Amino acid sequence: MTGTLEEVPAQAGPTQIDTERTVVHAPGIRSALGVRSAQDEPVTMVGALNAALADALAADPRVLVFGEDVGTLGGVFRVTDGLAARFGEDRVFDTPLAEAGIVGTAIGMAMNGLVPVVEMQFDAFAYPAFEQITSHLAKLRNRTRGQLSLPVVVRIPYGGGIGGVEHHSDASEAYYVHTPGLRVVTPGSPADAYHLLRQSIECADPVIFLEPKLRYWSKEPVPAEPGPAIDRAVIRRPGRDVTLIAYGALVGTAVAAAAAAADEGWDVEVVDLRSLSPFDDATVAGSVRRTGRALVVHEAAGFAGYGAEVAARLTEQCFHYLEAPILRVTGFDIPYPPPLLERQHLPGVDRILDAIARLQWQDLA
Amino acid sequence: MPDFLLPDLGEGLTDAELVAWHVRVGDHVAVDQVIAEVETAKAAVEVPIPFAGTVTAVHAEPGTTLPVGSPLITVTADLPAAARSAPAAVQPAQPSGNVLIGYGTRPVPRRARARRPSPVPAAGRPAVPSPARVPVISPIVRKLARDAGVDLTRIAGTGPDGLVRRADVDQAIAALSSEPAAPPLTVGPPISVPAPAHPQAAVARRIPIRGIRRATAEKLTRSRREIPEATVWVDADATGLLAARAALNAQAPERPVSVLALLARFAVAGLRRWPELNAHIQDDEIVIPAHVHLGFAAQTERGLVVPVIRDAHLMSVRDLTAALEQRTDAARAGRLAPAELTGGTFTVNNYGVFGVDGSAAIINHPEVAILGMGRIIDRPWVVDGQLAVRKVSELTLAFDHRACDGGTAGGYLRYVADCVESPLLALGDL
Amino acid sequence: MTTSPTIQDRVDAALPPSGDPLGLIGADGHQRETALLHLPPDQVLRELHRRMVIGRRLDTQATALTRQGRLAVYPSSRGQEACQVGAVLALREQDWLFPTYRDTIAVLTRAVPPAEALSLLRGEWHCGYDPHQYRVAPQCTPLATSTLHAVGLARAAQLKHTGEVALVLAGDGATSEGDMHEALNFAGVWQAPVVFLVQNNGYAISVPLAKQTAAPALAYRGVGVGVRSLLIDGNDAAAVFAAVRDAVGHAAAGRGPTLIEALTYRVEAHTNADDAARYRSDEEVRAWLARDPIRRLETYLRDRGLLDDAGLAAIGAQAEQLAAEVREAMAGPPDQDPAELFAHVYAEPTAALAAQRDFLLAEIAAEGDTP
Repeated sequence: MTGTLEEVPAQAGPTQIDTERTVVHAPGIRSALGVRSAQDEPVTMVGALNAALADALAADPRVLVFGEDVGTLGGVFRVTDGLAARFGEDRVFDTPLAEAGIVGTAIGMAMNGLVPVVEMQFDAFAYPAFEQITSHLAKLRNRTRGQLSLPVVVRIPYGGGIGGVEHHSDASEAYYVHTPGLRVVTPGSPADAYHLLRQSIECADPVIFLEPKLRYWSKEPVPAEPGPAIDRAVIRRPGRDVTLIAYGALVGTAVAAAAAAADEGWDVEVVDLRSLSPFDDATVAGSVRRTGRALVVHEAAGFAGYGAEVAARLTEQCFHYLEAPILRVTGFDIPYPPPLLERQHLPGVDRILDAIARLQWQDLA
Repeated sequence: MPDFLLPDLGEGLTDAELVAWHVRVGDHVAVDQVIAEVETAKAAVEVPIPFAGTVTAVHAEPGTTLPVGSPLITVTADLPAAARSAPAAVQPAQPSGNVLIGYGTRPVPRRARARRPSPVPAAGRPAVPSPARVPVISPIVRKLARDAGVDLTRIAGTGPDGLVRRADVDQAIAALSSEPAAPPLTVGPPISVPAPAHPQAAVARRIPIRGIRRATAEKLTRSRREIPEATVWVDADATGLLAARAALNAQAPERPVSVLALLARFAVAGLRRWPELNAHIQDDEIVIPAHVHLGFAAQTERGLVVPVIRDAHLMSVRDLTAALEQRTDAARAGRLAPAELTGGTFTVNNYGVFGVDGSAAIINHPEVAILGMGRIIDRPWVVDGQLAVRKVSELTLAFDHRACDGGTAGGYLRYVADCVESPLLALGDL
Repeated sequence: MTTSPTIQDRVDAALPPSGDPLGLIGADGHQRETALLHLPPDQVLRELHRRMVIGRRLDTQATALTRQGRLAVYPSSRGQEACQVGAVLALREQDWLFPTYRDTIAVLTRAVPPAEALSLLRGEWHCGYDPHQYRVAPQCTPLATSTLHAVGLARAAQLKHTGEVALVLAGDGATSEGDMHEALNFAGVWQAPVVFLVQNNGYAISVPLAKQTAAPALAYRGVGVGVRSLLIDGNDAAAVFAAVRDAVGHAAAGRGPTLIEALTYRVEAHTNADDAARYRSDEEVRAWLARDPIRRLETYLRDRGLLDDAGLAAIGAQAEQLAAEVREAMAGPPDQDPAELFAHVYAEPTAALAAQRDFLLAEIAAEGDTP
């Protein structure tokens, strides 16, 4: 199996284009189908990710995309749709069913100068690769005093809300953010999905790229200009009264909660973290110092979850500005429930509003 | 003369029995040469010496048990490059010794550095030690209380289970400043202590000196301690002043002038002629600024404050009136910024509002003078050789005698008095 | 008209030629006949011998250093010199070596300077050498994880057409790990240019092979995933060299991976802090000492007039000289700056990491203040 890493020209595409499956792409980002579309046309998050992969493959001959079912099938969520056909099987290919093998060989390829972008098909399926990720991917730069650089991206669809049976709805970000040497990022929207994935692929550090599958089908236009840097949080909705911190799938929920909160008289500022590790202290602490009240929301279990780190950090940095304790709104400390009960488990707008109500408003003069 | 200490030979050894020597005193030994056989709990182990040289002493008889880390053999080393001293990693008895994967445990060192006890700021401690910690609704409210010098243990919290809320702290702060306090710039009555309800069971009331009260007290004390001040005073006929004011206000009632503003204007004008009274003393120098930042005493619920009107020398009487009013309102509402309370070069004080005539005022350190005006009341006065009833006020000037002498002070005060007595004639210098 | 290969065809292609290990020079020092391996040229044989003598001396030196508290731990490969030296000398300059923690002699044979090679075992840095400079991957404790790295690196070489081959070393215990199986499988699917050399020294710390696996031989782990396999006498440096050389050539020609099982023996305990008497007998050790790799090659070379006493003495002197260099390297203070702990977590330290670094430096400075 020989292959070349030169860019496959756009004309050498498939002879049949499936027009039923519309993957629409914004200007300045090229789709796997090589199609430019009109400005401002909304794109799904899947489409944005697809475009990001295609553009990255086109821009850098060292980029590879591989994993289970990502080649011919185009991925179980179609995120890699059309890429193998366009770029060839030496650059976009299916692997044996072996997650440790996928990440381990990606490490070896990165040692030899390539830029692998691998997929773990679902969050929980990354566990077999956990040793490779935590013992080696995170540590080889440090182990070799900076001589080895591993610009690997591990894409992981994560989180619940899609009615999946067991093992398909995990949110395991806490394990990865607790591992020094990894970057962990998660987009909340299609625009962020495109730009964060491009940035992750271009980043010299290994990145765990958590894709909120609940939002795979959300749509918005993707601007051509790159968004904020890979390590920055963004204020999605400015507000005066309380800082609502969210990431991934729950950014959308947080924005909805903020809108509902306005009816109850609270002006809520929504912060989309984007980068779970490293953490953007400046943006988040700056917000909490302004509002004096903070709430972290995530679907993963609360105990020793990501929100605990955020609450501890903000308490240290903003103590004298606080009007209330920093609250966390999270999933329960239970294994992820069966699909018919998941709605009871996941934080929604109501649970967030109830938490906002507990932020000691009665103390205002 | 390096000693080779019995190394730990693994597996948590604390000692070993010397079985046999492979060398004698006087022998030359090479690096890594086996010099002895020792018996551990497990097996006999040969011990290689890490440096070369001539054996000068052996430190145990076969059959004796040695603790790990004790000297085994002494050798005069041949090569300077060879390992001289006992390897730093050789540990005395307690540590684990080499483990399967590494050096093993090491004895915990004595504390590496002396800890200097961090001084607890005096302001942080309540005057009366509190028996228990007071629950406060939030860190920001707790800080509010501390900054204002409010003792949390003396607050009855109105939140659930006695939780101290912001409103409670705000109330305590207001109560602090509304306690009757002597106007610090006059010799007034001392801080009044309310009489006990039942004189037979007289209990002293204790008011802590905290926050604003404390800051003011420190400043006044410093002023009296450092400044050799003297005071001159003069009575002035203010009838003309009052008439002038009435006329000005009749002409433009929407832009009024106040007596204090008129006094301030005269004071500033006088400082142009006697700039030494606008100065401050810095080390061995009298520093005379080019501007006048005029402070004036204002009494508020929180206590005495001295707002500063910057560049008063550029302001008209009406400007000064407006500025005085605005700053007085701000002071009463507690809205003055720190910048508006500092930087003054001269202070005027209308203590007449308290109903008294004179004051040996305390200079507002680091200024060098303070001008005061007492109440304006009807007094007998001689006008054109006849007794008359005139509106008379006493003007006082307390001054730092290091900055100027009586001639300057007297001249200045006389000038101000002249302005008061004849505002029209004062025009010549305005 | 060719038919596609049958299952039996594919089994035959992958199976080791026989259940007996292949060899070129027997324990008695006499040459054995075999068509499947080619005896290396005389100059290579002499070099194999010389490097093994040096390797053993350095191994002994490292063990001594642990007894002097200068190394935290040393997993000895005494007795395994034929693999340590034979495999490395079979590599070309552009090839990569993926060593385990027991392969320090191989790392030194690959010309990594002792101070750099021993930094890990000294406790100074996790890896003291630049992998790219020597084409040697870092050593670490997890077993078999490096097999996947080797396959990935080889796959990249394939895709880039740069021609290098990866040689990954593993022990008998490591072959039980899932990563090893996945690596063989990936290598087979990709026909990646990678050589797996399994040094079967009979024990994984204390667990003997019989408890490790029921596989007929470790060489048979390849046939199940279509990877061509060989079983050789791992104490025969000539055979190791020949087998690895052949496998490297096979891979370099694009004909895919090879799994080589080399039978050898770990003469010392697992590390300096292990007590091997708990799990194996003296007779067993003595039996293997009789099959010593260095002595047999020395006998062979002497018989062929390729080595004499003077030559041996010269080699011994070289070995002493290198041992002295190792002692020298370990005698000085470790080269460590605590600030560097924060320097390579990411490509660029974050502000938060910089703050932690400053915190630690302040702590250290405060310690210095105490008399």
